[in-house]
Amino acid sequence: MASCSRLPLHPFLSTASARLVCNRHVQVEASTAKSLYPPILPSRTAKSKSAKRRVVTEFFEQLRSRTAQEKIRALTRVQRKKYVIYPQTFALNADKWYQHYTKTAYLSGLPEKHTHAESTPVIDESVLSEARSVVCSFILQEHWYLKKGRTFIHKEQEQFVTPFLRNMVCGLKNLLAKENPVLCLSSLDFDPQVNYYWLRGERTIPAGHRSGRIEPMRFQIDDKPHSQIRIPQQLPEFAPLEAEISAEVPVISLAPDRLPLFRRQYDNNIFIGAKLEDPCSYGHTQFHMVPNRFHRDKMSKRGLSDQVEVSLRANGIASLFAWTGAQAMYQGFWSEEDVSRPFVSQAVITDGQFFSFFCYQLNTLALSPRADGNNARKNLCWGTESMRLYERVTDGDIVGWNDAVLRLLLQFLLNKPQ
Amino acid sequence: MFNATVQRIRTPALKITQNCKSKDCHSVLIMIPHGRRCLSTSSCLYGKILPRKKPRVVHEIAGLEPITYADRMHFVPGLAKPRFPTWDRGWKDPTHYQSPKLEDMPLHKDKPCYIFSQRTNVLEGVRQALWLSKSVLIKGLPAQILSLAEDPANQIENQDERVQDAIKNSRLWDTTEPRPLRERFCPSLLHRLLHLCGGLQVTRPELAKRILAEKYSLAATWRRGEDMFQVRGQNGLLLNSMTPVPVLAGEEQIQSTADQALETFYPIAPTIDLQCTHVYQEKNDTGFKEGYPYPHAHTLFLMEMGNTPKLLPEQLRAKMVMFTFGNALARAQALYGKEPRVLEKPIVVQSVATNGRLFQFVVFQLNTTDLQSDSGVKNLVWVDEDQPLYEFAKVRPYIKKKVVKVPAGLSGYQPNTFKKFLALHLHGTA
Repeated sequence: MASCSRLPLHPFLSTASARLVCNRHVQVEASTAKSLYPPILPSRTAKSKSAKRRVVTEFFEQLRSRTAQEKIRALTRVQRKKYVIYPQTFALNADKWYQHYTKTAYLSGLPEKHTHAESTPVIDESVLSEARSVVCSFILQEHWYLKKGRTFIHKEQEQFVTPFLRNMVCGLKNLLAKENPVLCLSSLDFDPQVNYYWLRGERTIPAGHRSGRIEPMRFQIDDKPHSQIRIPQQLPEFAPLEAEISAEVPVISLAPDRLPLFRRQYDNNIFIGAKLEDPCSYGHTQFHMVPNRFHRDKMSKRGLSDQVEVSLRANGIASLFAWTGAQAMYQGFWSEEDVSRPFVSQAVITDGQFFSFFCYQLNTLALSPRADGNNARKNLCWGTESMRLYERVTDGDIVGWNDAVLRLLLQFLLNKPQ
Repeated sequence: MFNATVQRIRTPALKITQNCKSKDCHSVLIMIPHGRRCLSTSSCLYGKILPRKKPRVVHEIAGLEPITYADRMHFVPGLAKPRFPTWDRGWKDPTHYQSPKLEDMPLHKDKPCYIFSQRTNVLEGVRQALWLSKSVLIKGLPAQILSLAEDPANQIENQDERVQDAIKNSRLWDTTEPRPLRERFCPSLLHRLLHLCGGLQVTRPELAKRILAEKYSLAATWRRGEDMFQVRGQNGLLLNSMTPVPVLAGEEQIQSTADQALETFYPIAPTIDLQCTHVYQEKNDTGFKEGYPYPHAHTLFLMEMGNTPKLLPEQLRAKMVMFTFGNALARAQALYGKEPRVLEKPIVVQSVATNGRLFQFVVFQLNTTDLQSDSGVKNLVWVDEDQPLYEFAKVRPYIKKKVVKVPAGLSGYQPNTFKKFLALHLHGTA
């Protein structure tokens, strides 16, 4: 007789039960069923665009699983003619061009970390006064106490500013090592090399057996800062990776040759200042000296007084982009594998008396034509105008000292990783 | 060393350097001592410049006037070449300058002076430097510094690891090329080691009272026997400090040096290899002006990179002794005057020299400026020679008959050398 009993549910718990293996959903099954034919791919060896695309895709696929050293080697192995970007340039309005090639948005003023009172590290009066006396004694040693002969005008900077900057970097770093313990573990390089190689934009080859074809434009930066500090951990970001920034990246439609930028072919180097094996693989601060022939008063006589700031900005943007880009490549990121966290570095550009400060955040490495299509991120650079540290040196005394510049310098050096 | 024919220096309007086009030079600019350009292609390629033939000597016979072609206004064969009076331009043109003869120069003196400069390569090495500075040698560093070296409280955390990182950075990782040159890795290593020592400022605030001076010019003069000696020129990096380096040897040790005899090396004169000149200025200059806040010299760092000229370790130690002596003497004369005397407060200057791997340590204590006679109280020099910081730093392993003799990377690290370096750096802080 029929009794009201509940049906056991356990057969339905198993997904392999006959009830659930239902053959009704034909469309879903057709796609998941094992296809009888292998996937149709374009040829690999044919002389066609699809074949080239397939080769490139497969090459990039197998590159994803390699180590950082092998990735850098594979991407820089083949030498071709490339545009060489000089960070210290006399070209007019070079900063806009460099911003376009590095996809950088420039924001004047420093990020909130260095401007807002709550986020800046508190600098003790004692530390500030000690730093002031130390920097003053360095300036006086070079300009007053140390007996030096006269040199040529364009070697004056090497005689006066280079030793002062060297002493200042060492002295302030040792002074602030107490407040910022990462400076104790840092590596200080003098006259390091910083190189970066990347692809950006496309051009039509004008002449030769490949004329008419589209090829990507290659760029190389070879920079020699005066000194730099490298640390084993990364600095925290200035702005979130996907933040909305109002500043725009300028677009230059002219060919790079018009800047002028010249093409050469030599080793494609990607270098942060030390090889990959060095544990200090993140950057902290770079110190640059303006070129020897850069004289503000002479530029204003020629009517180029606005180009003073422009060339400093171009220097900051190019040098810092190269450094942060190389740091990111050392960690294994490249244009197809974009950075998962922003890389941050700082720079100070000086001629001994005037100081400009720059902060850079690398949000994206995907600048090559293949990866740039759907890349909404842009790199950010914050910078200040050049500020005087002191007016002049007279008779063993420094006249017109400006504390704000020293404070900014100390803040830069006190920036520490979390 | 004076020739009968005096050479006058002419500054030519052309450059006096030449591109050497040989394969190994890679178009390096070489300085030709005589300042002539060699337009021949075969000598240039191998860097050898053939000597110029001397012009024919014209004898002056007293009483006879040579008949010249001066009035004819053109060359006449058979007549003598006229010698016109020297034309005076009337104003000073820097590209056409003929210096006066040595005897006519304002600083010319009859008595010669022997000068020790940064390019001097003395034959007898440390013995000669000891004779010149009237000093007595003690092998090994003094006990105070050795105790500072052994004390574990003075060490940086993870000292060995960080020093090895510094060596690898400067020797292996510093450049995009496979390996950096000695001119690059030697100063780079020294600066990294100094940077490590400077990190101790956290625990020792007295280290802040020091400053590094590059390219300072030293001048110190003294008399020894009948000769006058000078130490002159730029030498290396000088670490100055606000407080003097404490005296190392006690009164008894100083007085006991009076009994020790100075070693001579007859038949070689002690003035060998020093530049002998009759045109000089008796100058005593520390290189810094009055009122310098860091008047005391602490350590002199010399780098031997094998280019100008290549100094063997013995000669490098001699250079260290001479320059530390020069620094101490200049400061003694600035403090106590030029009168030769025995100092109540001896002046101590240290020195470290390196070629990138081997370190030489010298500590000089100036007890007396009375250097005229060979007797009396002498100065003291402690020398610690040839301390290797590491044995090998190779980019590629050294393989002989399929057996790896020396592995790639850094090998044979000696921790004691850095301990001594650090001890010398910390000497003087309480």
